[in-house]
Amino acid sequence: MSTATLATETGQPPAAAMAPPALLEVRDLVKHFPMKSGLFGKAKAVVRAVDGVSFDVKAGETLGIVGESGCGKSTTARVIMHLIKPDSGSVRLAGRSPGAGGLTMKAFRSQVQMVFQDSYASLNPRMTVEDSIAYGPAVHGINGSDAVRRARRLLDRVGLDPLRFAGRYPHELSGGQRQRVNIARALALEPRILILDEAVSALDKSVEAQVLNLLLDLKDDIGLTYIFISHDLEVVRFIASRVMVMYLGRVAEIGPTEQLYGGGRHPYTQALLGSMLSMDPDRRTETAPLAGDPPNPINPPPGCRFHTRCRFAEAVCAASVPPLFVRGGDHAVACHMAAPGSGHSQAGAIS
Amino acid sequence: MLKAAPDALDGPIVRSPGYWATVWRRFRRDPVAVGALAMIAIIVLMAILAPWIAPQDPYKGMTLRRLRPPGTDGFPLGTDELGRDMLSRLIYGARLSLFMGVTPVFLALFIGGAIGIAAGYVGGWVNSILMRTMDVFFAFPSVLLAIALSGAMGAGIVNGLISLTVVFIPPIARVAESVTTGVRTLDYVDAARASGGGAISIIRHHVLGNVLGPIFVYAMSLIAVSMILASGLSFLGLGVKPPDPEWGLMLNTLRTALYTQPILCALPGIMIFVTSISFNLLTDGLRSAMDIKA
Repeated sequence: MSTATLATETGQPPAAAMAPPALLEVRDLVKHFPMKSGLFGKAKAVVRAVDGVSFDVKAGETLGIVGESGCGKSTTARVIMHLIKPDSGSVRLAGRSPGAGGLTMKAFRSQVQMVFQDSYASLNPRMTVEDSIAYGPAVHGINGSDAVRRARRLLDRVGLDPLRFAGRYPHELSGGQRQRVNIARALALEPRILILDEAVSALDKSVEAQVLNLLLDLKDDIGLTYIFISHDLEVVRFIASRVMVMYLGRVAEIGPTEQLYGGGRHPYTQALLGSMLSMDPDRRTETAPLAGDPPNPINPPPGCRFHTRCRFAEAVCAASVPPLFVRGGDHAVACHMAAPGSGHSQAGAIS
Repeated sequence: MLKAAPDALDGPIVRSPGYWATVWRRFRRDPVAVGALAMIAIIVLMAILAPWIAPQDPYKGMTLRRLRPPGTDGFPLGTDELGRDMLSRLIYGARLSLFMGVTPVFLALFIGGAIGIAAGYVGGWVNSILMRTMDVFFAFPSVLLAIALSGAMGAGIVNGLISLTVVFIPPIARVAESVTTGVRTLDYVDAARASGGGAISIIRHHVLGNVLGPIFVYAMSLIAVSMILASGLSFLGLGVKPPDPEWGLMLNTLRTALYTQPILCALPGIMIFVTSISFNLLTDGLRSAMDIKA
């Protein structure tokens, strides 16, 4: 792949943009939540949940998104689905924006579906499992009995016996079974992209492994593209072909999984990976690589958002925002040290 | 996992009892609630069958037999201040009293429920406008509001109904708004939006089923209040007009006989008490039956 699939801070793909457009292009996505007080209250503060995020998702890949709590992973997912309206920025599916250019929001949403973290809250407690799955197809004009047939076939596909489970209510199912139902529901509209927002995080480890294997099977069978959001670095390493690291609403680093896990360039990526427990007891982590919590997204630090916790931070880091610097191939880093001539004393050192 | 053959997809599936079937099973195990339901059924039957079970004409009086005590020959519950049969008037009174108690609550359930669900689902400034308007009505005590409205519109059954409906819309709208707001933020509503469902479809399939229960239970609890308020309006001469039999109105007219025949005066009060407490106990039973922790 050329560098054409890479996003930069300016929102424009790098010059050689001759390659076919990526399946999903996210450009300069911004979502700020004003914190209001009272009816006519003026916004006192703004939570910068997502602050200029750009990336591409190629057909057939699995893009992992990792980061600490509150870094904007889930908001990014919901903004892509347009469940939350973005303040600015664009999302394009195969080159077309939803709500314009012949792609209706309804059509967009049938091609991009989502599985939520809370398997119980994401199923209507008053609906049987098959009715929950059949709702989407029914809304899209498929008649009732065909929609139910499709729901039962999907239940079978995700490993639940339709005759035993179709007429059940969500509270009668285990967490793993419910998440299988949620996956079936997301597949009911035959989407091209599935966004999995911490979809396996709440499951037991053994169940988590089963669901992950199911996801891999489905991907091979149907040719799905995944956006896999998780705080679990091991799981992301297992399932993702590319990984995007987010910090306080911005992209810190994005690149192929092996390249990133083999040697992330951004100091934050290094710290994050350093916090992973090693399988080798002789290589235990003695000290936490990163102290404290991330700064409050209400008043994020200026410049590079990581500079308050970064051991390489210099004056330039607080002064200017580092652009996503393309290191070649699919790998890009938002760090002044990666950009030659940025003013950082170690500029170019990590390229 | 077993692979079902394609033609087995239409086969008989294991069906769990639905939510309302479970609620009914739990409700049946509550003797107090079942007793209250039976009591209400008796009163409703009494109202429906009034022409057949009332021993006398409730309108026919005779000044010669005024204020007879209960147990008088031919008048098991005595006669009122115009010599009309108390038993017949109490039986016929159930019609108007139930009508005045139940109708405003159901009208308010539709109007207030629609306002509250719309406000809760849409949110934002629509919510602010609708709910602040409702809050204006909360500024007045409900009894005062009902009296003021029917006083302004004049006495009569229809005006009484309208004023009681107006009184009950704001509290029902508020309950509807709060439960809808709670459901609105749940992931399954987002999932339904992601599936392409429009607002009306989502409200019908995903919101109503989860909010109607609590709203209905709350409205049920207002029936007792409505009956008492309706009786109060009649008592003040603002609701039902004489000579129609209605428990509140009977309480008013028999008030003058409080010292001569206190038992007669208490009879309509007892009917109001029994009916409203039955509705309250039924509501309590329904509420606990619906409180299923999955």
